[in-house]
Amino acid sequence: MSRIIAYKILLVLFIGTITLIGGLQLYHHRHFQTPIVAGPGVTEVKKLSDYGPGLDGTITDTNVFFLKAEQEGGKMLIIANTHSNEPAALLSSLIFLENAVVEKGTLIIIPQFNNSGGRNTRSGDGYPLYFEIKTHWGKKRFRMGNRVASPLDQWPDPDVYVHYPDRQLLSYLDIRNTNRTWPGRPDGALMEKLTYAAMELIRKENVDLVIDIHGAETMFPVTNCIVAPEKSMRIATMTSLTLKAMEGFDNHVEPSPSGFRGLSHREIGDFSDALPFLLEAPLPFLDQPTGPKTEDLLLNGKDPFLLKLSKKGKLFVPYDENGWPMSKRVGQHCSAVLEIAKQFTRKNPEKALLISNTPRYKQVVKNGIGSYFKDPSKAKKENIFHN
Amino acid sequence: MQTQIVFTFLVMISAYSFAKWRKVSVEISMFLAALAGGIFGAFTKTPPINQLARHLVEGSFAYLDVILIFVTATIFMAIISESGGVNYVVKNTIKYFYNKRLIALLLLMFITLIPGALTGAGSVSLLVVGAPVALALGYLGIKRRKVAAILFIIAGLSAAAPPVNIWAMILSAGTAIPYVGFELPLGIPVLLLGTFTVLTLGWKKQEKSTLESALKQMPQVPKGMKWWRVLIPFLVFFGLVIALRVWPFTLPVIGLPFQFVISAVFALILSPKKINIVKLSRDTVKKLTPLLSTMVAVGMLQQIMTATGVRGLISYAVISTPLILLFVSLAVIIPVSEGVFTYGGAAIIGIPLVWFLDSIGLHATVAIAGLSLLWPLGDGLPPTALIGRLSVMVSEYKRSYWSFLKSTWIPWVVITVVGLLMVIFSTQLDFLVKWSL
Repeated sequence: MSRIIAYKILLVLFIGTITLIGGLQLYHHRHFQTPIVAGPGVTEVKKLSDYGPGLDGTITDTNVFFLKAEQEGGKMLIIANTHSNEPAALLSSLIFLENAVVEKGTLIIIPQFNNSGGRNTRSGDGYPLYFEIKTHWGKKRFRMGNRVASPLDQWPDPDVYVHYPDRQLLSYLDIRNTNRTWPGRPDGALMEKLTYAAMELIRKENVDLVIDIHGAETMFPVTNCIVAPEKSMRIATMTSLTLKAMEGFDNHVEPSPSGFRGLSHREIGDFSDALPFLLEAPLPFLDQPTGPKTEDLLLNGKDPFLLKLSKKGKLFVPYDENGWPMSKRVGQHCSAVLEIAKQFTRKNPEKALLISNTPRYKQVVKNGIGSYFKDPSKAKKENIFHN
Repeated sequence: MQTQIVFTFLVMISAYSFAKWRKVSVEISMFLAALAGGIFGAFTKTPPINQLARHLVEGSFAYLDVILIFVTATIFMAIISESGGVNYVVKNTIKYFYNKRLIALLLLMFITLIPGALTGAGSVSLLVVGAPVALALGYLGIKRRKVAAILFIIAGLSAAAPPVNIWAMILSAGTAIPYVGFELPLGIPVLLLGTFTVLTLGWKKQEKSTLESALKQMPQVPKGMKWWRVLIPFLVFFGLVIALRVWPFTLPVIGLPFQFVISAVFALILSPKKINIVKLSRDTVKKLTPLLSTMVAVGMLQQIMTATGVRGLISYAVISTPLILLFVSLAVIIPVSEGVFTYGGAAIIGIPLVWFLDSIGLHATVAIAGLSLLWPLGDGLPPTALIGRLSVMVSEYKRSYWSFLKSTWIPWVVITVVGLLMVIFSTQLDFLVKWSL
């Protein structure tokens, strides 16, 4: 055997080994399940495919949890993991799902909205595959997902994405971005079917408030805020002012631009009677000028480059040696959701929405996120759900 | 942490330089740089060693779509060429416009601009029309070095041209700015700069030739080749592109690679001579392998640079630069980022840069358009030199790559100045966006 052939065989074996090891890890990530424990307030669990065609039997179909009080009242929908690389949304929604008790009205939660995105990785961006939250019973492990759905589930992409129904031209990737495919269509691409089913849920269940939870870079001007269209502006403003006065954190209001289509805070308001809100908390992990993309950066938000840039006034949020820990972000979301419900109730007493047994900002920061998660090994089997 | 990132960066540079010194190819050098950076980073678990293989595999898929476009577009064009269609087009271009130089040059510029403008990839322009345009320019008495230079600049501008500009799309998606209003801020400079380029590099007839001698030198056109045999496959391709824009809610999304495959089937059926498609496809992929593997290696490198923090370090350095110096240095930073990361440069440097420019009151859309003119220049720079290498390949320029690159300096400088002025005076130029809407 010549030396060149021997080298080639060695090279093929080397590449083959790398591909096998890496491929298996990616396969495991896609099929990893995080158990969700339905809390005392959960009264019914449906599938999003119950509301729109084309999702049943696909990886895109996702659980919809209903927390319905005996007393009729307002209805609020919480959507998390629209972007699965912004995990404070999922964690916040799980705190509600595993703990909240609704005394009046209905709370509907979709914790893993873009389930395909949650099983996707961001090629080229070096994310960790998982992150873990400490609890009193051990560590709860979650997948780190991607902003867009997996090409394994929706492919190919067009050369340019033409938004329905406005025909606005968007980046080709946005056809897999479930915060660009609203209001969706029943016979469109899979992600358009997903947002269409969510729109149908909102319309059929007569949802009053929709809150889509996100995270954004510290160098992005639209961060640490509530994005709201004109019809939701009053409640958003009152929420922002109250949070600042009562709980001491900033969460300014950003108007939803009418010329930028496909976003939940724009299209849900335009295509239903619901009042949409989009919550953004700072997420240093997503910033470009950071050190290694590690689990620690994701959870604690501490980064030396961002700290220097903060001192040069180049960030849009206050930033110091403490970073932006996950508990702070999740706490902000919890308080903002509860405050929006409270402000809505104040304005619409006939549609009151009363939620109890859910922590606010200071409690989450003090006790940690994990203290609100239930041990799946001790929960009843019928209360454990997987997507 | 910062010291460790700097050392990781140095290890990657050293690995790349050593590999190049040992005359290892660009793509393998990049792979070795990624591997070395990943192993060095693993000492501090950035990334953990048990994740290194996964990062390499994951990164290798970053440009899979681009790779599929390259393969299918090149096979499509290879069929056109093998059927004699390329020779037919060149012969007729020369026959009808040989003595109308201005029209001939502008026509060839438009032909080169269209595929890239519709797909957002200058490489597609070169793969689809590069070879016949190169031949036509050659018969117009332009030296091969300048032919390659013209093709490189025009193909780059085609990628920046509306309606599809991948850099602007990546930046728009990453900065939550709608991808609208780019038609005039991109279209006007592309047309002006394209015209300037073909006239500057191509106006002077450097090699003696006459129409008769040019026609004599041309390769034989196969019997039975007619204009419609060449035109129909292109009409099918552009027809699909346009149809998918006009009826996006009726037609299914089939993707550019499949659009090229459909067009290739038409080209195959319409060919006046029999083509062995298996052999042709095999030869084409073999020819493309260095480019395809470069794209695979770029993805791996980008992934490791992010996982180790090197990408963040580069991004930080750009943003920390004082404003005046930043504007001046954009002339270097932007093309170099493209040369290293291809489209990844827009994400790594472009997104924080646009946020920063937006925050100091500049008009983001016009600024993105200005930056979009600078990125394609980087496609001539190593290590990737994607469009540069293709330009040299399709124009069959055999001498050193640097001698080709040097001949692009006049349009390069003018494009850089125009791009920078668009960024600096973006607020004053916002009327271009308003007129586009």
